[in-house]
Amino acid sequence: MTGMRSNRFAAPFVMGLVACLTALLATGGCGAGEASSIVGKETLVIGVRPDLPALGLRTGDGRFEGFDVDVATYVAGKLGATARFVPALAADREKLLLSGQADLVLATFSITQERKTRVAFAGPYHLSYQDILVREGTSGIANVRDLKGRRICEVQGSNAAQRVVDERRIDASVVPVATYDECMSMLKSGRIDAITTNDVILAGLAARERGGVRLVNTQFNEQRTGVGMRRGDVEGCERVNRAITDMYQDGTAARLLGKWFGRSGLTLGKVTVPQFEGCS
Amino acid sequence: MMFLARRTVPGRIKVISSVTVAALGLLFATLAYGTAAAREGLRVIGHDAGPQVVATAGLYLGLSDMDAQVATALLLGDRRQDALARYEKRRAEVGSALLQAHTLAGSDAAERRTISSVLEGLGRYERLASEALLLSTLPAAGSPGPASPSGGVVPVSTTPATIAPDDRALASYRQATDLMTRELLPQAYNLTLESGTIVRHAYEEGHSTVIAVRLVALLCGALALGCLIWLQIYLARSFRRVFGLALLGASVATAACGIAGAVIMEREAAALATAKRDGFDSVLTLARARAISNSLHADQSRYLLDPVRADTYQHTFFDKSQSLVYLPAKNLSDYQRAVASLKNDRFLGMLEGRDVAAAWRRFQEADRSLRAESGASATSALTGPVRSAFDAYDATLVRLAEQHQAAFARAIAAGEGGLSGLWTLIPAGLVVITGGVLAGVWPRLKEYR
Repeated sequence: MTGMRSNRFAAPFVMGLVACLTALLATGGCGAGEASSIVGKETLVIGVRPDLPALGLRTGDGRFEGFDVDVATYVAGKLGATARFVPALAADREKLLLSGQADLVLATFSITQERKTRVAFAGPYHLSYQDILVREGTSGIANVRDLKGRRICEVQGSNAAQRVVDERRIDASVVPVATYDECMSMLKSGRIDAITTNDVILAGLAARERGGVRLVNTQFNEQRTGVGMRRGDVEGCERVNRAITDMYQDGTAARLLGKWFGRSGLTLGKVTVPQFEGCS
Repeated sequence: MMFLARRTVPGRIKVISSVTVAALGLLFATLAYGTAAAREGLRVIGHDAGPQVVATAGLYLGLSDMDAQVATALLLGDRRQDALARYEKRRAEVGSALLQAHTLAGSDAAERRTISSVLEGLGRYERLASEALLLSTLPAAGSPGPASPSGGVVPVSTTPATIAPDDRALASYRQATDLMTRELLPQAYNLTLESGTIVRHAYEEGHSTVIAVRLVALLCGALALGCLIWLQIYLARSFRRVFGLALLGASVATAACGIAGAVIMEREAAALATAKRDGFDSVLTLARARAISNSLHADQSRYLLDPVRADTYQHTFFDKSQSLVYLPAKNLSDYQRAVASLKNDRFLGMLEGRDVAAAWRRFQEADRSLRAESGASATSALTGPVRSAFDAYDATLVRLAEQHQAAFARAIAAGEGGLSGLWTLIPAGLVVITGGVLAGVWPRLKEYR
């Protein structure tokens, strides 16, 4: 009688013991993975520019090439993922991230406090400066103040031209356009006087022209080019920052800058890791 | 399941006792595991990455202020003694901060590489800075220059009070400040951020383990207690004895150990959470805020010193200001208007930030008057009202940081105190309970011999 009774007790106790052990073992394997983190994805969809030579340019066969593309490939590799690229024009960068169509955006995406209210940034992975591109033979434009009364183009989604007008209160007339190609043809035909944006963009455009245009080389705004991400993925952001640190420490950053801008007339200086924005 | 099928009384007693002892073993093993996890978490947060944040933030502040003092010395001409003294003081602080950061980096290869890179860059920086300072005292080639009319190296009192540094001095300073702001400061800042990452990982791992251990400890404690009660019921039925004092004692001790273990784990989890959220996170946020504040204060000197780059320095001042207190504004004057009418009692989301927010308003106000001036009056604004407004603002940051630093230290100490209690509970409990079980079961088993 007692034997029967104890047996009915014994089974749950043994099961309890097993459950105890299982729980103990399981606690070791619990990570802090968020469902929306870029960490652990096999493929990272990365938005890059399709329209900027040397930074992100779609080639004839539909592939992408440029500095941003190489950095994206490196970062994705450090995160153990393969990169799949999608085109991200200036105006589309935030949309791609917020709609989930891209996991990361490396598309000359400058970090600003205003943008940070909507998207997060890892990095910056490169510091550039705002500069001015003019036609060969243009005189009287040596710095940003000389843009007063001049016509400059503004590519949709880029804030470079507005920064001249709003931050500097320089009375330039801003001509809105869709792409830098359009800007370039307007500059050559004399419909605008100058293009102002990141020096790396201008250097890439100038290099493709092989003459006819000139970089003024007046570095007037620091532009911190970051990796656009969705907000809240702290782990992912820190992993990207570590990848960027590695990229600078192992010499890859210097090699890539040399590869894409070494002959562009851009002063590269000593290549060192930029000050990160921080992930929280 | 074979041995459970043994229906003899001593066989069954042995089985129940074994299950009891196994559950007890598991309870104490779990608690030991939780203790180790909590201890490691507290070590990393309290004694490794936590202090590293303070060391690297100190490194950043020292470096940033060295550069600010060089700019100020160049601006002030012959009244540079104070600035040079402060430069030397900062240089010494940077040296000890580097040493400490290097010690705390331990075996982290990336951190050590960064620290040696800062050390190497610092040598180059000092060379460029002394070059700029020396050049500014020499007569400039082809221009009246800042030096004394007699052409001596040491400026004499007839030198104008405020002098524009000559182009060669400025060129050297540009190289120096570029080296500082583009190479050295970013590395120091990233080291601070990296410590934040290390702490976040240590916290998440430690905290989730301790929470799980608490649950498992309760489960195992309940299981062991159940086994003990079962054993007593079984013995009472088989031997017609109502009380087994030893087993009763063992049951009470088991319940006490299980509950005490769970409570201590709960407290450890709370200590880790307090140390991380109320202590460390705020200390890190304030360390970053102080670093950025110091560098934007240095941008004010650079703005006055270098007319060619004045626009850029004004822009970096604006950008850094916005990163501390974000207000939608298109340019610095818009921003400063918005700051003036700001009715915010928080600073960086911290509730206790009222003083800081007020000091920030006064500092931005002082900056606005600085930018309205030019030449000598701008320089005196910088070294007068702007400097004191900045120092007052910085002091409020330091006070707030000290509050959080104290909360941090308290939480770490509380966590470590709780662990030492557990460390005595585990062996004592194991001995007492196992002894009780043996004492309760042994005489019954002997009856079958």
